Amino acid sequence: MNTLGDLERSVLEHLWAVGGPRTATQLKDDLADRGLALTTVHTVLTRLESKGFVAHDDARPRQFRAVGTREEHVAGLMHEVLGQAGDRQAALARFVGGVDAAEVAMLRELLAGADRDRLG
Amino acid sequence: MLPATAIALGVLAALLAWPVPAALARAAWPRRDPLVALVCWQAIGLAGGLSIIGALLVHGLSPWGHSLPEAWWHWVTRQPAEETVRGDHWVAQTLAAVLALELLGVLLLSFVRTSRTRKRHRELLELVVRSVPGEDTRLLDHPAPIAFCIPGARPLLVLSSGIVAELDGPQLDAVIAHERAHLREHHHLLLLPFVAWRAALPVLPAADRAHDAVRDLVEMRADDVALTSLGCSDPRHTLAAAIVAAAGGAGGQVPEGALAVAGGSVAVRVRRLLAPAHPLPLAARAAALLCALALLLVPPLLLVLPAVV
Repeated sequence: MNTLGDLERSVLEHLWAVGGPRTATQLKDDLADRGLALTTVHTVLTRLESKGFVAHDDARPRQFRAVGTREEHVAGLMHEVLGQAGDRQAALARFVGGVDAAEVAMLRELLAGADRDRLG
Repeated sequence: MLPATAIALGVLAALLAWPVPAALARAAWPRRDPLVALVCWQAIGLAGGLSIIGALLVHGLSPWGHSLPEAWWHWVTRQPAEETVRGDHWVAQTLAAVLALELLGVLLLSFVRTSRTRKRHRELLELVVRSVPGEDTRLLDHPAPIAFCIPGARPLLVLSSGIVAELDGPQLDAVIAHERAHLREHHHLLLLPFVAWRAALPVLPAADRAHDAVRDLVEMRADDVALTSLGCSDPRHTLAAAIVAAAGGAGGQVPEGALAVAGGSVAVRVRRLLAPAHPLPLAARAAALLCALALLLVPPLLLVLPAVV
């Protein structure tokens, strides 16, 4: 399955794994098992760049690299998606919002009480 | 005719701006029937906006005719007013226009902004989540026990590897059923006007209360829907255990911002699962729904009625 979304993932995964700059031709060869045309690689890189996940330098030919590591991407995502902003705009529905330690202890007690009632 | 209509609408608007939402937010019965309560909240929001704008419009246009449709027509066709037009008429007209534009504009803006945020979230997520074969859920490698869905035309239901490790099979099913209920019943649309109007009317404490109440109610509603689809022996206990585990799971480096929001609402959810109150009697449900319907009908009726009488 070579949808654009899948290809974006593969290319970015690869750039994360390499950790350094690659040209489009190199990427095409790196991902030879996918049998991509060079134009496809360029399309994917352009899309990733417009979303801010990939940047290129001014060398000839252009070299592309991932903006940040995979870990940084996930950390940023957690902050952006589950942070205050995401919640206040109701952009997503979270199963359980954050609760503080005291409330967690109280919740566990509630559940334990119910367990005792069931067994007793 | 018009002053009486304007006063009636104004009184209704004042009631809907503070005492009614405050009472509904404080009431205990919504926990017993979140769906009916959600209908009531939508009616309050809609009727509140309509009545305040209607009151201003009726007063502002009163020199032009003896009913709103008539006065409106005279005003639009630039006919001279039948009575002297004072400054307060112009002020009321302007306020009505400003308020109508603000409420609708903010609703639209909020919709656009939220859609853009969701698109961005989806882009960020789609690069790192893994699909589970045969499932419509996506897996995110993160130790915190998290589950959420991003609504929209292409919804995304995400589970963290932390929550998969933390919960057992039936509990995980309960979580997924809860999130699917949000998506299937389009809870984000029920919440949207309240998110928008809280942004539009920051001076109105009721807007804040209403938003929080509706947010908590959609969670309870999703819990109720999830219960009906679970096949395990004690679905209530399973879902409650899932909530507690997700709330207190280890490895939870959840961003600061997410921590302050829930207040006591998680405990309310767990309590009503473990010790369910009796469902609302049929008569009470019907009464609440009739109230909501009446709320929706009263402002439009008041606006056109003097024309009929």
